[in-house]
Amino acid sequence: MCTSFKVELLKGIHNFTAASNVFKLALYTNSASFNAATTAYTSGNEVNGTNYTAKGNAITTVTPTSSSTTAFVDANDVVFSNVTINGVRGALFYNEAASGDPTVAVLDFGSDKAASAGDFTVVMPTGDASNAIIRIA
Amino acid sequence: MNNMPFNMSVGSVEVRTTNNRGFTPEEVAERCTDKLLHVSEQAPPVIRDQAVAYKQQMTGVIASYMKQAIQSDRTTVYNAIKDAGHLKLAEYIRNM
Repeated sequence: MCTSFKVELLKGIHNFTAASNVFKLALYTNSASFNAATTAYTSGNEVNGTNYTAKGNAITTVTPTSSSTTAFVDANDVVFSNVTINGVRGALFYNEAASGDPTVAVLDFGSDKAASAGDFTVVMPTGDASNAIIRIA
Repeated sequence: MNNMPFNMSVGSVEVRTTNNRGFTPEEVAERCTDKLLHVSEQAPPVIRDQAVAYKQQMTGVIASYMKQAIQSDRTTVYNAIKDAGHLKLAEYIRNM
């Protein structure tokens, strides 16, 4: 999780309920070097291929909720349809509606992924207190 | 009163891809039940086995209804293309 996101949460910059906040997922090659210090979307090392649009696809988030003492945000899977993209190593989860496209989290796929004239789906975890994409315990 | 620890975490994502086709209803249904129901490896075996069996049954039911939805949408697409004057293309889609 990006450190800047933690600060921005306390500043009220991100709102996972408001329709005006547009969260997106952009895909990157293994040349990208992201970590907790990553603060914003960048076009550097973003994947390039048929039917992939720069800045990625929107993430549909589910209204934040809680279970026991853990608050969490769930999100629907993100599908990049009918794409030909190669060497996809990870993604940036960011807020396109906020000034400067600030990041939420860096997602590492563990190995390079590819799709050829097919669907590339980033499968989000089960939306519960133990697995959800963003959890505050 | 005690201070409570505060931890923020990011969940693990997976990537599923296809080549030269889309996902089948069975593949999407499996993702759907994975999303709805997480079965813990640490759950007692009897409960875990029941949960896995229930999940498999749900996957089958969801896949079946997804096939119906696809077939129904194809009927809509068929009629739209036929009404636009492309009967041959409409028939091709109907027979897919």
